[in-house]
Amino acid sequence: MRFAALLTALVLAAAPVRIAAQDAAPKKVDIITPHITDAHALDLPAGLGHGLVQEIELPHWAPLHIGSLELDMSPTKHVVMLLLAATLVIVALTSAARGVAKRAATGRPPTGFSGAMEAMVLYIRNEVILPNVGHHGEAFVPFGLTLFFFILTCNLLGLIPYGSTATGNIAVTATLAIVTFLVIEIAGMKALGAGYINTIIFWPHDMPLVMRIPMSIILSPVELIGKFTKPFALAIRLFANMTAGHIVVLALIGLIFSFGSYVLAPLPLAMAVAIMFLELMVAFLQAFIFTLLASVFIGLVRESHH
Amino acid sequence: MRSLLSRVVALSLIATPLLAQEGEAAGGSVNLLSPSTGLMAWTLIIFAIVFVVLAKFAFGPITAAVRDREAALEAAIASAKADQEAAAALLAQHKALIEAAKGEAQKFISEGRATAESMRTELLESTKKQQDEMLERARRDIEAEKGKAIDEIRREAIDLALAGASKVIEKNLDDAQNRKLVESYLASIGTR
Repeated sequence: MRFAALLTALVLAAAPVRIAAQDAAPKKVDIITPHITDAHALDLPAGLGHGLVQEIELPHWAPLHIGSLELDMSPTKHVVMLLLAATLVIVALTSAARGVAKRAATGRPPTGFSGAMEAMVLYIRNEVILPNVGHHGEAFVPFGLTLFFFILTCNLLGLIPYGSTATGNIAVTATLAIVTFLVIEIAGMKALGAGYINTIIFWPHDMPLVMRIPMSIILSPVELIGKFTKPFALAIRLFANMTAGHIVVLALIGLIFSFGSYVLAPLPLAMAVAIMFLELMVAFLQAFIFTLLASVFIGLVRESHH
Repeated sequence: MRSLLSRVVALSLIATPLLAQEGEAAGGSVNLLSPSTGLMAWTLIIFAIVFVVLAKFAFGPITAAVRDREAALEAAIASAKADQEAAAALLAQHKALIEAAKGEAQKFISEGRATAESMRTELLESTKKQQDEMLERARRDIEAEKGKAIDEIRREAIDLALAGASKVIEKNLDDAQNRKLVESYLASIGTR
């Protein structure tokens, strides 16, 4: 209540300034779209006196032709971010693994960074992957852990200045989801053998034949759609979460300019900071959710022999 | 089907005034939901490399180290339990030994006491017997000495009396007759 009163007072106080700002015909600047989309340029800190950002154009390569498919492999901002994330993840985790191994040689648990990484790896392994993928799930542990750490690093890279969220690009999330889809289906084929066909064609054994055929005709497409909705949901969930958070932060910052007032500026700024903290949580949460759901889907298809 | 769906979502997104306006500003329509194949290929390659490297050099060693540590802990716990059991068994054994020793000591003490008691009574008895014997012998000796002394005294008395009487009577009395008289007198004393 008091907060609302304060807000009103601030708006009233700022009113003359705002009117003045509106008078000077504002130039339309889109700060959101370039931020959430991919580009053939990198945003880097500029030298003193040249503004805050300079754009570095990335090289354009001639598109590859594989059959009828045209593949433009020119590096973009998100490719650079993916490479950076991959490097960071590999350096962080292999050095952590070396630390763990070194301490293990003396028969002691790891300390510091390697201890923290080990705790995260163990948590994801023991609480997220192994309980969900079902018995003999050891083989799926590296895949799930890679998903988690790679997505997490991409998410976090989007939160630092000059960074960009590669996981906020549908191409990235769709690829990760397709890989997950392939892992799920191959796991199903391996676990069920010829029984895998039952996860596509609905064929109830405890019904009379007259009922079985119409049931199969109606429900088989449902089963098939179910197979594709899972990765689709994975891709859209990650993409939408990462994009939405950035849009909210930028919209709040944009409020400062649409108010055009120094008095009101701290308010959207405080809200943007709060949303950034939320985004930090969401970065971990979405990486966790992606891994958890991938594990659950693998477990579902492996245990669907009834 | 996915492309159809994505197109529908994309169209609805483009239809929103905000994005349409921004599309204008960027100089073309922006479709957030049309994946670029190049980026997909990049993602696939990078993810595959990350997966292979991490599986081989990060998760493998970490999992192995953790498994080793778990095994070491398990072994340590098992050996600690075994040690504890051994210690408990040893303690019980020692307790039993101490108990036995205590019992034995008790037995020794009571045995010693009994021996001492019996020895005391035996000694007492033998002493008493000896004493009694000594007393008895002394009494007998005294008795014998007394008889002897009486006889001695008697003989002495006779001799004295005789000597005295002989001295008195020497002049007037027949010796034999007097002696008879005296003897008869002494006999009367003896019988008295």
